[in-house]
Amino acid sequence: MSHELLDPPRPNPLRDPRDRRLPRIPEPCALVVFGVTGDLARKKLIPALYDLHSRGLLPTDFVLVGFARRDWGHGDFEDMAREAARAHARTPWRDDVWSRLAGNIRFVSGTFDDDASFDRLDDCLNEMRDSRGIKGNAAFYLSIPPPAFPTVLKQLARTGMADNERSGGWRRVVVEKPFGEDLGSSRALNDLVDSVFTAQDVFRIDHYLGKETVQNILALRFANMLFEPIWNSNYVDSIQITMAEDVGIGTRAGFYDRTGAARDVLQNHILQLLALTAMEEPVEFSPESLRTEKLKVLRAISIPIGEEALDRYAVRGQYSQGWLAGERVVGYLQEDGVRPDSTTETYAAVRLGVETRRWAGVPFYLRTGKRLPRRVTEIAVSFKRAPHLPFSRTDTEELGHNQLVIRVQPDEGVTLKFGSKVPGSSMEVRDVAMDFLYGEAFTESSPEAYERLILDVLLGDATLFPRNAEVEASWMVVDPLEEFWAGRIPASYRAGEWGPKKADEMLARDGRAWRRP
Amino acid sequence: MTTLWDTTGTAVVKALAAERRTGGAVMSGLALTLVVVVDEKDVAEAEAAATTAASRHPCRTLVVIRRHVDAPVPRLDAEVLIGGRLGPGESVVMRMQGRLALHAESVTLPLLAPDAPVVTWWHGEPPDLIAHDPVGVFAERRVTDVRRATDPLQALRQRARDFAPGDTDLAWTRTTAWRALLASAFDTVRAAPVRAVVHGQETDPEALLFAGWLTSRLGFPVPVESPNGQRGRGGVLGVAVDLDDGGSLNATGAAGREVLLRRVGQPDSTVALPERELGDLLAEELRRLDADQPYADALGAATGTPGLSARSSHRVHIWRDPAEASAGEARPGEQTDVGPYSAPDSGGSGADAAGGTAGGSPDGGQADGGRAGSGGDGGRAG
Repeated sequence: MSHELLDPPRPNPLRDPRDRRLPRIPEPCALVVFGVTGDLARKKLIPALYDLHSRGLLPTDFVLVGFARRDWGHGDFEDMAREAARAHARTPWRDDVWSRLAGNIRFVSGTFDDDASFDRLDDCLNEMRDSRGIKGNAAFYLSIPPPAFPTVLKQLARTGMADNERSGGWRRVVVEKPFGEDLGSSRALNDLVDSVFTAQDVFRIDHYLGKETVQNILALRFANMLFEPIWNSNYVDSIQITMAEDVGIGTRAGFYDRTGAARDVLQNHILQLLALTAMEEPVEFSPESLRTEKLKVLRAISIPIGEEALDRYAVRGQYSQGWLAGERVVGYLQEDGVRPDSTTETYAAVRLGVETRRWAGVPFYLRTGKRLPRRVTEIAVSFKRAPHLPFSRTDTEELGHNQLVIRVQPDEGVTLKFGSKVPGSSMEVRDVAMDFLYGEAFTESSPEAYERLILDVLLGDATLFPRNAEVEASWMVVDPLEEFWAGRIPASYRAGEWGPKKADEMLARDGRAWRRP
Repeated sequence: MTTLWDTTGTAVVKALAAERRTGGAVMSGLALTLVVVVDEKDVAEAEAAATTAASRHPCRTLVVIRRHVDAPVPRLDAEVLIGGRLGPGESVVMRMQGRLALHAESVTLPLLAPDAPVVTWWHGEPPDLIAHDPVGVFAERRVTDVRRATDPLQALRQRARDFAPGDTDLAWTRTTAWRALLASAFDTVRAAPVRAVVHGQETDPEALLFAGWLTSRLGFPVPVESPNGQRGRGGVLGVAVDLDDGGSLNATGAAGREVLLRRVGQPDSTVALPERELGDLLAEELRRLDADQPYADALGAATGTPGLSARSSHRVHIWRDPAEASAGEARPGEQTDVGPYSAPDSGGSGADAAGGTAGGSPDGGQADGGRAGSGGDGGRAG
């Protein structure tokens, strides 16, 4: 088997780089989902698989294997998967499409510490190598709480299921965030995963990177002549990255109270957005070059130094009872499952710097929070004011900074804000916004992030996945902040407000203000 | 929405600008202009497809409905919509009567989105020569559908004769699912293919294009054979490929049903092959606005016309008057006007020659020419 792998594969005569109508379809393979009864699997993974299947993007020989503790027969899992796909799929429901996918669904029941059930899983994969033609290719999706990772990974190592050589195909693992809770635990987790799987076979999912607009940042910056020349500290005044949610913590109290906004969102999504915004041009659009550039930026990030600076420029908040979207909502401390004396933050705002020639002196203001007025994620690049204005001061009173805003969600698109003359006989200049909307709102059927990412895992394309060095570099940014925050009480803000007063003061001190997204 | 009865091209341009102002922020960002050429009886179908396509690719849709070319009085009726029935973008539906129908471009040209690519789609019998239809001449991409021709095989051959890079046909788009399926099945094949047969009707354009594609990719001729008992069914019905290691690959099925894939040494599997709607096909066409070389290769191989990709993508309008095809039908009192891109060697009949000489006069010599505004302008442009 192994010598066959060494043969250079004959190029497929039917593949033509000019033929861009043909989709990329993965090789025959199996996707094994651990924790298949969980929320993520039901709301995202299974529907995404149905959508991929109905768009004809899954290989002919594809098997979905569910693994969970339930004492289920094969039919029970199929019923649950069917309900999940039907309720959450984005493409129209068709029984015949489902029935073909359902014919290739297996369920293995067992607990993570039970050797016998993992042996059964191994047998199941081996059996399907021949009966279903999946050729030993399999991806393992760990949709399970982080404490269970080590047990499952050890089981995969013990049975040899993670071994490319032994399986005669590829074996990949997909890990969801959180990737640890600080640098130490993240390293331990990375070491563990990398000891079981080859580093290139590990896919860390940050579902934000699967979004069209996030990928469009790269196109916007590197496919155009217009923006790159001014994308530096000569012209940029400051950058604001916002990721706001209107929801509270829902049923995630147990997880959230241990984690907080900075670890939950800032460490991964926001720092990845920062990296894409600030990175240098990659040599080529390949996973390796992209990661190299992102890593350089993450390593160049500086945080406020000293107690006083941290107190001013690293602000935490916690929502209290208030009104949001016409409804009364309870405060964080009153949520079910939250300790009444919890000091976990639901809001974090921080000023970072990127110490490179391109960005020295440009503050990056990052903020994230729950129970903010609306759900929005955006990157706002604010440009310096013109050094000289030939108009009188009163003419340009309403003129602000030029801004380029990349709206990640919702209303994916780009806004450019610039000064324009107010029609009339007097010379008055005021800000106007030019909008470009080319995202999910317009193209209703733009693929869900999970579809794209699952497809990339099965294709082995790691462009949109952060590698462990990036994860570790991000923890190096967040750890000192967490250390400073430990034991301090977060500032309070009313649910339905744009964060605590302290965060506004933080920008006011620099002569700036948060953009209202 | 603005509806204009018996109007002029200039009024349509103004109405569109007014709609854009009052429509507010409904629309932002235009990737292209889609010109749909359709007969009255198929308007609903074409509009539905254009709406689907426009929801994926922000575009300005111009629907051109030509009717009663022989009507004595040219007339233009138009409907201007933004964010309405025809999707989130801007759309203008234009009904053109009388001689104006032969000068549709005089109305559509000022309506094209500035500096954006133009795609013209004929939802009906494809034009014999695209150069005959000025709304096709100024388009970067031209999409026809030979399945809607009375003789699809003849129409496919004509497409090859008339081909210029930038042309595609929905018959080709309909083969995408089959091509993807086969290419995907081939991803794991290590042996070289030595013989292949496509199953389908010998006269079916999709089967022929699919076979043409295989011929161009595999380097040996791939015939189309009609399978027993499936006479009359359209589209690709299957494909069989023999490999040099004695293996084979066999797929049978049809769009809208499932396909059974048999490979030597591997278990059988079934694949869904959804029947795609017209709107999906059109949306696929709008994804790419450059020439489709694999289509040129496949069309060339299917019709035995090599070197299609090397042709010039530039077309020059050739004036043709349908009234002359049935000679002597010209109405008394009507003078033939002449097209703006009129080629010197066109026509040659007395009526056309008369039109040619009248070409310089701004009113086109018609008493009622002014009513259709731009229609009468044809003479001036010439």
